Amino acid sequence: MTTTTTATRHDRRMYAIMNRPGAQAMSRTAARRRGWVAAHIALTAAGVAFWLGSVHAGPRWVPFGLLAVIVPWCVAMGVINGATRGLLQLRGRMLDERQYAERDRVRSLAHRITLVLLFAGAAGAGTATLLAGVRFDGGALFPVLFALLVTHWMLPSWVACLRVRDDAPDEVLDTTGGH
Amino acid sequence: MSEQVHNRLAVVRAERKVTRQALADALGVHYQTIGYIERGQYNPSLDLALKAARHFGLPVEALFSLEPFQPLTDEVYGVPGRKQ
Repeated sequence: MTTTTTATRHDRRMYAIMNRPGAQAMSRTAARRRGWVAAHIALTAAGVAFWLGSVHAGPRWVPFGLLAVIVPWCVAMGVINGATRGLLQLRGRMLDERQYAERDRVRSLAHRITLVLLFAGAAGAGTATLLAGVRFDGGALFPVLFALLVTHWMLPSWVACLRVRDDAPDEVLDTTGGH
Repeated sequence: MSEQVHNRLAVVRAERKVTRQALADALGVHYQTIGYIERGQYNPSLDLALKAARHFGLPVEALFSLEPFQPLTDEVYGVPGRKQ
């Protein structure tokens, strides 16, 4: 961290939570991190579908589906945040120069991916309208915007988690005072 | 665009029996950052490189170089078959 003297109690508490050694084991390898990101994407998609179903008066069981995915979604989010050591959650003053640079790269990459998704969506919708005469009614606007909002919100976390590199074997020992 | 900066941080740290965590605390960075620097996955800023050099009481060029370092044993005892 760069300026610990200005860190508040909240900053230090969040830093400790994001750097808990016990939680790191769940995301120690690249395969595990990919698994957690895949699970989180699936849970997010399910959560969005359930929430939109509840808003648009879907079947009565839909809100229960939303409640069922909330807890595993929070667990997966916690593991992703732990894997990135709070790269996107901590305030800038709690990050060091490498983490700060990495956060910029993650945001830049996520921005580019969002741009590609938006471009593909716009091109697909335009092509469907032009070539197949498909008409999009206003009812589709809110679900599409909401899905886009969630993607824009979550993408940096997924990108950050996938970019994390494995600790060197002795690095794990180092954290507990070994070596 | 940035050039690879070679370093001897791991060797010096091991020689001085300093853990990554202890060095990170002394330099005010995350312990993983020390590992990233040692593996050549991150080039430290001039500020951080100077802090590391000061921490070990060495000139900065003893720790960081644009050219690959020779093994320390070669520097101390010379390369076999080559005159000192």
